[in-house]
Amino acid sequence: MALNNERGLARDGSGGRVERASERPRACSTRPPLLRLSLVALVTLSSCARGDRIVVGAKNFTESDLLAEIVAQQLERRTGLPVGRKLHLGGTFVCDRAIKSGDIDLYVEYTGTAYTAVLNHSPGPSADSVYQAVSEEYSRHWGLVWTAPFGFNNTFAIAVRQTAADSLGLRTISDLARIAPQWKAGFGYEFLNRADGFTGLATTYGLKFSAPPTAMDLGLTYRALAEGQVDVIAGNSTDGQLEALHLVALEDDRHYFPPYEAAPVVRGAVLERHPAVQRALAELAGKIDDAEMRRLNALADVEHRDLREIARDWLARTLP
Amino acid sequence: MDVLRFYAANSREVLGLLGEHLVLVLVSTTIAVAIGVPLGILLTRRPGWRRPILGFANVCQTIPSLALFGFLIPLPFIGGVGARTAIVALVVYALLPIVRNTYTGIVSVDPAVRESGRGMGMTDRELLVMVELPLAAGVIFSGIRVATVIGVGVATIAAAVGAGGLGVYIFRGVSVVDDTLILAGALPAALLALAADGLLGLVERRFAWR
Repeated sequence: MALNNERGLARDGSGGRVERASERPRACSTRPPLLRLSLVALVTLSSCARGDRIVVGAKNFTESDLLAEIVAQQLERRTGLPVGRKLHLGGTFVCDRAIKSGDIDLYVEYTGTAYTAVLNHSPGPSADSVYQAVSEEYSRHWGLVWTAPFGFNNTFAIAVRQTAADSLGLRTISDLARIAPQWKAGFGYEFLNRADGFTGLATTYGLKFSAPPTAMDLGLTYRALAEGQVDVIAGNSTDGQLEALHLVALEDDRHYFPPYEAAPVVRGAVLERHPAVQRALAELAGKIDDAEMRRLNALADVEHRDLREIARDWLARTLP
Repeated sequence: MDVLRFYAANSREVLGLLGEHLVLVLVSTTIAVAIGVPLGILLTRRPGWRRPILGFANVCQTIPSLALFGFLIPLPFIGGVGARTAIVALVVYALLPIVRNTYTGIVSVDPAVRESGRGMGMTDRELLVMVELPLAAGVIFSGIRVATVIGVGVATIAAAVGAGGLGVYIFRGVSVVDDTLILAGALPAALLALAADGLLGLVERRFAWR
């Protein structure tokens, strides 16, 4: 988009010399007049360097990598464009920076995460309004487009050991609040510090543990819970590990958490240049529900199957 | 400048985490010295053990910290969630420079000096304590210095297993997309590493004067 504009403007400014230059196969040599300096040059150069390649990013957990692989293969199949992958980037933070800087063209984000962690709103509203709010604000602030959600909600799973839940009759987070004073909790940093994280949850349910929750790496909390080092964790509800480690998620009976619907976020410039990308992504809308996502995650995390293979099989079966 | 404002508002917490960080580094480096120096000496007496032990220390260095924590959590006594696990991991990472420098320091003592010691009728023990260790002290100490400085940096990972330290700010900052928080953890850790390096550098120079 910016590239086309600039070339047009440059032509107006300096006539035939530039026009001839832009007809050469490498449009990088186009020289805009002095006015439009560094930024324009940068955009032009980086677009040139990458050509038509679409770069798909992902956060550093299985589900994000897997969805990115599905999206990447879908784009390869349907658009024929070359697709690069920058998977397992260091979380929301890094993906958010990377897409705003143009290092990646799209990644899969969760509505509730974007709403609270990126846009800094307090949690609360219903599914539709969160999706609407984030897509409106992303487009206005950064020219980023939220395409249609996959159809599942990966919310925080306040999880305990299955044996403990059975023996104590725990079903909801309200049940947990009764016995929490005798229990230890271990949470990831994100959950402890997000606007939609522990502080609000503790207030909503009157949760108080025997000690302040231990802050640790999210992945390690699963193991710490399974090994009895802690009694409660906040995992991901679509995670394949929960079932495999005999852990069970308690119901959010007071509806504290906002919806976390997964959907591709794409740079608007890419969609304008390649309308086929939009069409390819639209096919994925509503195709993965909670149970399906858990199953796919388990294929990767529990059965250790290759992500590319899982994505290929799923696409071949769901969208032949 | 946001960082300074953050410190002003959270000075108690910052000092607490800095204290935790220092304790993690001091305890782990002390244990690593207590294990590493004798181990390095042992290698000079049992040349056959050199390859397997240095190889093991090399391999330890390559284990990703999160994977190491994952292995340690289920273990009794040295594992679990908290400072103990972090210290075990930090000791593992500090061993290589200490063992290697102790070994190298002693081995590179001039053979003529060693011979003249033997000629004076020194036992192996006397030779070690009165000749080899004093001559190798500079090299051994620079290994400890390297291990300490690396330890200050690596100790930020302790926050992943609930052991606190300055890494808490880094992990928190990364998870909530906040540069100020990341800097609030990274900046003092970097300064601490420089301070440790400078301080130990001074001590090292005293060794060199002897």
